[in-house]
Amino acid sequence: MSTSTPSTPSRIVIERTYRATLDEVWELWTTKDGFESWWGPEGFRVEVHAIEARLGGALHYDMIAATPEMIAAMAAMGRPASHPARATFTELRRHERLAITSVIDFLPGVTPYESTIAVDLAASGDTVRMTVTLDPMHDEELTKRSVMGFTSQLAKLDRRFGAAST
Amino acid sequence: MHIDAFQTLADPTRRRIVEALLHGEQQVGELVAVAGVHQSGVSRHLRILLEAGFVTSRADAQRRYYALRPEPFRELDAWLAPYRRLWESRLDRFGAALEQRRRARRPPTRSKRT
Repeated sequence: MSTSTPSTPSRIVIERTYRATLDEVWELWTTKDGFESWWGPEGFRVEVHAIEARLGGALHYDMIAATPEMIAAMAAMGRPASHPARATFTELRRHERLAITSVIDFLPGVTPYESTIAVDLAASGDTVRMTVTLDPMHDEELTKRSVMGFTSQLAKLDRRFGAAST
Repeated sequence: MHIDAFQTLADPTRRRIVEALLHGEQQVGELVAVAGVHQSGVSRHLRILLEAGFVTSRADAQRRYYALRPEPFRELDAWLAPYRRLWESRLDRFGAALEQRRRARRPPTRSKRT
């Protein structure tokens, strides 16, 4: 297990190297088929309605509970099995870098805020190194978990962030 | 506990102070330069960081030096571990999806007969 301390405490950087071409990796982020083939947490699948791989282009999809356990879990929490997600490509340099910004606007009482995932690609021989930079403090996934009761405190925290200014 | 740690770091000025202290202990005057606020503001933020356990201070003659304490960072790291795992498994799926597409596109070449 790696225990390195990130230079900015709130940021997580994950690096992976895949045996693939830049084109193949790029497709998984920027095409309907590609994106649907992997996105979403365990137990969920996504259905993409719009994926416009250009600067400012839309990324709209439904996140759908896919396993019987997850469908039951969502029902038990009084949450719908499917919910829409809206994001935008806020950076896009083909085969080099992209950023996806989601608007977190589904929390009652919480000022809508943005969450961004940045992806950098670099080819080397027959492999591609992919670096994903995440900001968990403003992450959609984590916020969703908080809504689902995993970390109920987080919503309060977000509210404080919304009001925080010095 | 974790909430306090995140709350402490939610302030951009305090994050700048913490980032400056990553290079080693510093005096208030040195921190004023990077923090972008007046000395009284830096002192106030340092007091909050001290109370939250992020920072420790020591006096040397007339000087006071501030340094980071590792504990809250370990705590943050532990709190973030499940989140990192979530993304690790997501990128595993990314790799699997990539592999599947490659196979679908390029059926395995049969061994050549010559």
